[in-house]
Amino acid sequence: MNTAICVREISKSFGNFSAVNQLSFTVQQGDIYGFLGPNGSGKSTTLRMMMGLIKPSAGDIEIFGTSLSLHRHSIMRKVGCIIEKPDFYGYMSALDNLKLFARANLLTYSPKQYQDLFHLVGLTGREKDKVKTYSHGMKQRLGLAQALIHDPELIILDEPNTGLDPQGIIDLRNLILQLNQERGKTILFSSHILTEVQQLCNRMVVINKGKSVVEGKVEELLSTESMHVRIELSQLDKAIESINQSTYRPKLVNIDDHLFRFKMSKQEIPELLRFFMDQQIDILRVDYRNELEEYFLKITTDQS
Amino acid sequence: MKEFKAILINELIKTMKRPRTYIGFGVITFVCLMLQAAFYKDGKEILSFVTQQFENVFNIEGRVLNGNLICFILLQTLIVQMPLLVALVTGDAVSGETASGTIRFLLTRPASRTKIVLAKWLAGLFYTLLLLIILGIMALVVSRFIFGEGDLMSLNSEGLTVISGDDINWRWGYAFLIAFLSLGVVASLGTFLSCILDNSITPIVSVMAIIIIFTIIGMFDLPSFDVIKPFLFTTHMISWKNLFEDPIPFQDILISIVVLAFHILLFISLSIFYFNRKDIQS
Amino acid sequence: MKSVTLFFLLIISSSCFAGDDPGTLIRNLNKKFKLINDYTAQVYMQFDIPGVKMKSMNGKVFYKQPDKFRIKAKGIFFLPKQNPMQQVSSMLLDTMSYTSVISGYETIQGKNCAIVNIIPLKNTSELILGKFWIDLQNPLVYRSQITTRNSGTLDTESFYSDRSAYALPEKVIIHVEVNKIKVPKMMAADLNKKSKPKSDPNIKEKGTIILSFSNYKINTKLDDEVFIKED
Repeated sequence: MNTAICVREISKSFGNFSAVNQLSFTVQQGDIYGFLGPNGSGKSTTLRMMMGLIKPSAGDIEIFGTSLSLHRHSIMRKVGCIIEKPDFYGYMSALDNLKLFARANLLTYSPKQYQDLFHLVGLTGREKDKVKTYSHGMKQRLGLAQALIHDPELIILDEPNTGLDPQGIIDLRNLILQLNQERGKTILFSSHILTEVQQLCNRMVVINKGKSVVEGKVEELLSTESMHVRIELSQLDKAIESINQSTYRPKLVNIDDHLFRFKMSKQEIPELLRFFMDQQIDILRVDYRNELEEYFLKITTDQS
Repeated sequence: MKEFKAILINELIKTMKRPRTYIGFGVITFVCLMLQAAFYKDGKEILSFVTQQFENVFNIEGRVLNGNLICFILLQTLIVQMPLLVALVTGDAVSGETASGTIRFLLTRPASRTKIVLAKWLAGLFYTLLLLIILGIMALVVSRFIFGEGDLMSLNSEGLTVISGDDINWRWGYAFLIAFLSLGVVASLGTFLSCILDNSITPIVSVMAIIIIFTIIGMFDLPSFDVIKPFLFTTHMISWKNLFEDPIPFQDILISIVVLAFHILLFISLSIFYFNRKDIQS
Repeated sequence: MKSVTLFFLLIISSSCFAGDDPGTLIRNLNKKFKLINDYTAQVYMQFDIPGVKMKSMNGKVFYKQPDKFRIKAKGIFFLPKQNPMQQVSSMLLDTMSYTSVISGYETIQGKNCAIVNIIPLKNTSELILGKFWIDLQNPLVYRSQITTRNSGTLDTESFYSDRSAYALPEKVIIHVEVNKIKVPKMMAADLNKKSKPKSDPNIKEKGTIILSFSNYKINTKLDDEVFIKED
């Protein structure tokens, strides 16, 4: 499999603030690659560097095996993107906006092709409306249309679900899957919501404070072998005594008031619950997360 | 080249579709019509302000209040106001897109930043040219239609110069070219400030502030100002008037053209330099 | 006081130059003027007026007795408010309104001229004093100085050739005194010009207008309409 994107130790500082710090990751062709991080983690700065909007202070980016700093011109022909919120010329119609983008890519589209593109992103019938009358969700769809207008091999989507209604999110997800599976597009999908990435991506990187935290296949990162289980129990002393006398003692991580935290595989959770029920200890609440979810929750909680 | 042509066409389309473009056209048309109406009604009284110094001794024969004089007055008046209209469009060219975020789409196309800024600059010059064409039509063609043709009695600090109506059309041609060059400096300055600033208002206000300060320096005959005056582009923006002197000071005009062209080159070079290094964070 | 001075001047001058009669000179001159009812001529105008730059130009002169005068030309030109071409004949022909004396003699253009002073009889007259250098041999005005209340002194020199029988000059040089026009720099918007040292606005500068006439057509029964200005 060929490499679509290779980011090598890129850094970017704005004054004393280090937005991205020696970040590296690789996207293979055909991936739907999740770029996950909490707000302010450096996702947009990284994506801007990948699109040539910001120059890295250090490091190198290669797209389709070509250095971005040296061959941005030819690379951009193969890349479509939505960076942050989609902004258009509000005083022009959606169709006129797309015509600008088509012309900038040296494309001559027929009316039918424009129609198909509007149909693809679900904006049929609104082509001639001024963009300033569009909702954020509609602009997001139009943003996707402009990203696809030149049939790029790589599509970079920076939080594309923002502002979309639930149906819009489902439509977008289906569209991304369709583009990937039917047209073989490589997609880099950034988000600060883990479930979005989980549902869509095959590989992912998690970044925080401009650094790569973890990178790999989504299914491996979301392994169920080591789940973090939290159980809120009513009788604290009885519960502690029962656990100390059982085989679950080594799996207990800590106790915080009535909240008991265990680390175990997903299959063991029902057995643990049965154990407490047998001991006639009331279970008030149960939740569990995998390692990545636990970690991501921690960094987003720290951020907030 | 094909690519540059495409983005230039895009810039021209954007310029022509933007409502603010038409503010300039409207202002020029309105001011011309307003002044023409005023001159039509009270032109002789207004003129006597200039001619009163002669009136005891001379009768001024012939049609003094004619289309050429009205055009001269309009051009002299509007050359001060037109930079604002030019800055309104060119000062917003890059910064407006940076502020609105559309710059991201622009810069993620397969075109170099140099080409983009050059296309924006040329679109700004095109708008400036359109402004001048409208001014030319309104001030010269319409004024001649209303007030007729005739000799031009031009006013300068040395006194009056009467230019024959038969010898004036080529002067107007070159005067509008020099006016275009002058406003080209404003367009280039607007583009430059637009490249280094991220909101659309500051470059427009900055262009006007620079012009006002430079013009004030030019108005006062102080020895300390005299040293810097020849280097200020505003000093040379009025050099179109030299074409209505007798004899025409071609040397002075040439110097002005060189100074104005130098400023255009300077501002557009700086625009390219800064724009290529600019991080788009909006 | 002025009239008293003029009265003494009159007495002194008339006693000094009793040999020639100014009345006869003027009468002979007026005979020539009276030969003309109207005329037209081509005129070439040259201007040298302080503060005014103007190209020379061609025009056409129209005159009709007693005081209708007009120059038509394509373009703008300056003519003295007290136009000697119009005034000399009409002033001298109105013999009842003035008294005349000879105040001296002077040779002008090789002609022996008497200097005839014309003093208006009415104190309210616009004219204060008219001085005419009239050839004693062939009565023609070779020079005139007309001083009026509002327009100052106008000095004119006339040259004659083939139309001298009608007292029509071939060339007239008009000398005028004007305050040099001064336009404030801010009003002229000459930001690119350095201001020159200020001159005293009360000092008058001399200017000249030269009118060269040709192709006279006399008594063609000119219509009055040609003297009506279009605007």
